[in-house]
Amino acid sequence: MNALQEFLEAREIWDVPLAASALSGALLGALGVYVVLRRTVFVSAALTQLSTLGLVLALLLEEQLHVETEHAAEQLAVAMIFSVAGALLLGAVRARRVPAEAAVGGVWVAASALVVIGASRLVHAAHDLGGMVFGNAVAVPPLELVVIGAVALVSLVVHVLFAKELSFVSFDPETARALGMNVPLWDGLLFLTIGLAIPATARALGALPVFAFLTLPAAAALLGRARFRAAFVVAAVIGVVAAGGGYVLSWFSGLPTGATMVVLAGIAVLPGALARSRA
Amino acid sequence: MSEPLVALEDAAIGYAGAALLTGVRLSVGEGDFLAIVGPNGGGKTTLVRAALGALPLLAGRRRARRPLRIGYVPQREHVDTIWPFRAGEVVRMGRVPLLGPLRRPGPADDEAVRRAMARVRIEPLFDHPYGELSGGQRQRTLIARALAAEPELLVLDEPTNGMDPAAELATMDLLRELHAAGDLAVVMVSHRLENVANYARTLAFVDRAQRLFRVGPLDEMLQPEALSALYGRAVAVDQHQGRWLVYPTDAGRRPEAAP
Repeated sequence: MNALQEFLEAREIWDVPLAASALSGALLGALGVYVVLRRTVFVSAALTQLSTLGLVLALLLEEQLHVETEHAAEQLAVAMIFSVAGALLLGAVRARRVPAEAAVGGVWVAASALVVIGASRLVHAAHDLGGMVFGNAVAVPPLELVVIGAVALVSLVVHVLFAKELSFVSFDPETARALGMNVPLWDGLLFLTIGLAIPATARALGALPVFAFLTLPAAAALLGRARFRAAFVVAAVIGVVAAGGGYVLSWFSGLPTGATMVVLAGIAVLPGALARSRA
Repeated sequence: MSEPLVALEDAAIGYAGAALLTGVRLSVGEGDFLAIVGPNGGGKTTLVRAALGALPLLAGRRRARRPLRIGYVPQREHVDTIWPFRAGEVVRMGRVPLLGPLRRPGPADDEAVRRAMARVRIEPLFDHPYGELSGGQRQRTLIARALAAEPELLVLDEPTNGMDPAAELATMDLLRELHAAGDLAVVMVSHRLENVANYARTLAFVDRAQRLFRVGPLDEMLQPEALSALYGRAVAVDQHQGRWLVYPTDAGRRPEAAP
């Protein structure tokens, strides 16, 4: 039996993880267009770290309460609360007194340090955390696919219904504000979708691939000179190909899944970057 | 006398309880052309934001006609050119506040966009990437976006900042043309008095460092005493071939005019 036959016969093992990876790639790739154009790439890094912090705190709490069984839904809920709160704070509030970069950097550093401290206090769940943070995507329960699908659907509805408001407010908040639009409300809605997407996909992909997929597919689409609306589609397709392709490639090569996905997404940036450097 | 489009009455303007300007009385009516002049960081943009209702007053009262259609042109460099929008897509954004959520632009909106681009003579640029336009073309695109809202009041923040003299004159001539064409009231912010003195009907001087706010008809404001209060030094005013000239005086000597 060759490797391809083995892969096809093992469908029950990879069908849910592969679907979750591809859907996550599409969702994060499309949302990444706003992340890149609004120059908030490091906001997504900080949110990913906040989401991980929420996960660590949930695991710590479970250990403190001597909860033996894993409560994935509760862990995800805590991670979402942290991520959404961070998204609303860092993305939607345009601070005047503190430079935005300082606030984002401070949150990222503080969350990273607390994750390290929290992880050092974990006893039983420490071995699970590595997969959650760095990406595993090998074992994804069907419930997580449902959660990713639900978040993707909510994001799609929000971004289709309010496309003109979200794009105007993101492109030129000063004019939008002068014309009476509620800029914090629209910013909040946009970052709510990003804040929900990060923890939902991080459990399947891991923190590193989530950060990468919020950046690289959109960068590839924009460097490839895609127009605004087309950039969402192109970035989503690159996300699907990099996530799905990375999963399959790692299956056959034995390479780490998350890192393989990131490398594929990085390769997608090269053609546009090379073309721009020659222009 | 008709109701003003927007008016501030004894307003205190600033942020978080710290007033930059107090006792501001300002009224903009139909067909007015008001230029707000002052140094960089002097509070001009803050005053405009307060007049538009985008910044709550710390004291006093703001009155505005309801509904009031406003077109706003931000400083060109405040609009990021990495966004992959075409000029036509940028102009279409001017219709967003009119449409409200859940409504998509229709043929009437497309026609308003086309008309606005034609008025500033950039129709052929409809499909050009905004980020690849020249500074003057980008400025016209932003003015067209403001016009696409079919405004009664057009507000521009430093529209000629960073332009070469030819582009600056072309932009100012365009604003005069738009103003002369109808009932459009224009409020323009500039840190250069020479830039607006030959176009505006009303001038306001703003400088928060001096707690200075003065407003009046052009002739009254272009008096050496009023200008000296703004610039903090002796200033002379003259007319040459119908154009106002404003220049500092040193020992009463006027700089030699260019040939």
